[in-house]
Amino acid sequence: MANRVICDIPLNRVEGDLEIKVAVEDGRVVDAWSSGTMFRGFERMLVGRAPLDGLVITPRICGICSLTHLTAAAKALDGIAGVAPPPNAGRLRNVALMAETMQSDVRQSVLMHMNGFANVFHSGHDLYDQAVARYASLAGERSLDVVRQTKRIVEIIALIGGQWPHTSFMVPGGVVYAPPVSDILKCRNILSQFRSWYEGTVLGCPTERWLEVDSRQALEAWLAESSRHRESDVGFLIRFGLGAGLGNLGRGYDRFLSYGSLELPEGTTVAGTAGRLVAAGFAEGVTVEAFDQARIAEHVASSWYRDYPGGRHPFDGETEPVPSGDEGGKYSWSKAPRYKGLAAETGPLAERIVAGDPLFRDLIADGGANALVRQLARLTRPTTYFQAMDAWLGELIQRFGEPVYHHPGDLQDGEGIGLCQAARGALGHWVRIKDGRIAHYQIITPTAWNGAPRDSEGLRGPWEEALIGIPVSDPDNPALLGHVVRSFDPCLVCTVHVVGASGRRTL
Amino acid sequence: MDTAIICVGNALIPGDDLGHRVYEFLAGQAIPGGVVVIDGGLKGIDLLPLVEGRKRVVFVDAVAGFGPPGEVVILDRETAASGAGPYDHGAGLPYLLRLLPFVCETPVPECLVVGAEGPAHPSVVRATATASLEVAIHGCS
Repeated sequence: MANRVICDIPLNRVEGDLEIKVAVEDGRVVDAWSSGTMFRGFERMLVGRAPLDGLVITPRICGICSLTHLTAAAKALDGIAGVAPPPNAGRLRNVALMAETMQSDVRQSVLMHMNGFANVFHSGHDLYDQAVARYASLAGERSLDVVRQTKRIVEIIALIGGQWPHTSFMVPGGVVYAPPVSDILKCRNILSQFRSWYEGTVLGCPTERWLEVDSRQALEAWLAESSRHRESDVGFLIRFGLGAGLGNLGRGYDRFLSYGSLELPEGTTVAGTAGRLVAAGFAEGVTVEAFDQARIAEHVASSWYRDYPGGRHPFDGETEPVPSGDEGGKYSWSKAPRYKGLAAETGPLAERIVAGDPLFRDLIADGGANALVRQLARLTRPTTYFQAMDAWLGELIQRFGEPVYHHPGDLQDGEGIGLCQAARGALGHWVRIKDGRIAHYQIITPTAWNGAPRDSEGLRGPWEEALIGIPVSDPDNPALLGHVVRSFDPCLVCTVHVVGASGRRTL
Repeated sequence: MDTAIICVGNALIPGDDLGHRVYEFLAGQAIPGGVVVIDGGLKGIDLLPLVEGRKRVVFVDAVAGFGPPGEVVILDRETAASGAGPYDHGAGLPYLLRLLPFVCETPVPECLVVGAEGPAHPSVVRATATASLEVAIHGCS
C-alpha cells in the first residue's frame, strides 16, 4: 500500500501569505493545493469612488510592481475616455515600466530563486560550495552585489514619475510631466550603467551575443565558449539548475498566456509585433493563437467567495467574500482565472513562447516547461529591453517639446480594460464608470493566473499542476517544491490582499 | 542633511503604525536644522539611497519584545538587525540594517531604531517622537 502523507508547507520565503499543501505518496507529490491566505479586497475599496482614484489606490496593491498596476489603471481610463496618449507619453510610460520589471527580474532571480541553491538540501551538488559563497542569504557575494547594483535602476522611474514605488504619474491621456532633457540624459546614464553591470556579471557577455543564442545547441555552445559565460549568474543558473534536475521539474500544463505589453509609440524606430514590443497571444505548447480578453473567466468554486456556476468574465465578476463553509472545497482567497476555460501560466517564459523566441521554443520542445527554463527566461528578459529603452530615451530627447498629454475631457460613463505584462506576467484591470463613479472594478494579477486554485471543473491551477510528481525526500525542507513555485515568481501580496505586517518583519 | 529620521511602518495596521503616526506628528513640528524627517513607508531595502551619505539615521518603527507595551526603546543597529531573514517581498528594516555594512556605498552612518510596542496611543507617539528628535540631535551616547 502506498505511503500517503499530507504535508502543509508554508513557503514563507516566497511570501508569508502563500501556503502549499501537497499529498506525497512514495516520496512524490501526487496532489497539491495552493492557498492564498489573506483577503485583498481592493475591488471593493474602489467601488463608489471617483474614476481617477484607481490611479492612486491600485499601485498600493504591490510595492514591487506598483507601476504595472498604475499602467493597467491608466490604460483602462484611456479606453473609457477614448483618448490615445501622445507618442512621448507612451515612451515615458514604457521606459518606466521596463525599469521596474528589470529590477524585479534580477532581484527575484538572485535573491529569491538562486538563493535556494545555497539550501543545505543541495549540499551534495558539485557546485554547492560556490552556490553558498555566491547566493547565501545576507552574505552571498552575488546577492550583495545585486542589492548594491539594482537600487539605481528605479531612479529612472523617480525621474520620470516623481517617485518610486507608488507613483501616479500616468493619467488618462498621457502623463503629468515632461522631464527635461537633462533628466532624460540621467535616465540614459543610469540605464547604461545598469546594462554594463548586467552584461559584465549577470549575463557574462554583450546583449547582442546573448540574443544570437537561438537553440539548445547554441546555448550549450555559449556555455562552452567562455569562462565568463559559465561564471555569470546566467551561466551558473544553467549549470546548477541542470545538476539539480530543475530542467525536468515543474512542467505544468504547457499553456502560456501573454496580454502583450509596451505599445510602440507612433514614429518609433523600435520594432515589435502587432504594435507592441511584447507580443500578445495564447499558446498550447508552442502553437500560438491570437489573444482575446473576452475569453477570460474567473471561477470561485475553490475560492472563499460567494458561489456562482462556471466562470465569469471580469466585467461580470464580483468580489463577495465568504470566509467560511464548504470546508475542504474552498481553500484560497485567490480566484481561479481561466482562458477558454483552461488554466494557463503567465510570465517571462510565456512571453518568449508567445513571441516565438527560437531558444525558448526549443528548450520546451521535448520535455515542456520546467523550473529552470522559467527562471532563465526571467533572468535574461532585460536583454529584450535594453535596445528599446535606449531608443525610446533617445527619441524623447529628439522629440523634446512634443506633448505628453491629451486632455481627455470629462470622463464619461463607460467601460475600460487595462492590460499589460507585469514582471510576473499578465495583469488586467476591468473598470466600469457609471454616474461619474466607479461602479465596477476587477483586477486579475499574474499570480492569480499562476497560483490559482481549482476551478469549477475541479482542475488544478498551473503551479498546483506543476508540483505533481516532484520528489519530496524531506517534508521539513521541500527545496524542490520551493524551486518550482518560485520559478513562477509568486507575489501573493498582490493576489490576495493589501497588508503584510506578519511577513514584513518583527523587531 | 547629515541626519535623517526615517519613519517606517504600515498606517493601515494597528500595532504597526507607530512610525507613520510619528511622521505625522513630526511633520507638524519645527525640526532642527540639519535633520530631515522622511516617511519611509514599507520600503525596506529600497531605503538604502536615503541612508547613504548621512552621518546618523534614526529609524522609527513599531517593535516587539524589547520592553513593556508603550515604553519607548532605543536599539542599536546590530540589535535591530538580529531579526533579519532571507530576502522576500516583505523584507523590511532588519534586512536593510543587516545588509548595510556590505551594501552602503558611503561610510555607514550611525543607525538607531526608536520604537515602542503596542497601540500607537497619542502619548506613545509623542514620547517616541521626542526620543527620536533627541537621539537625532545628540546620538545615543
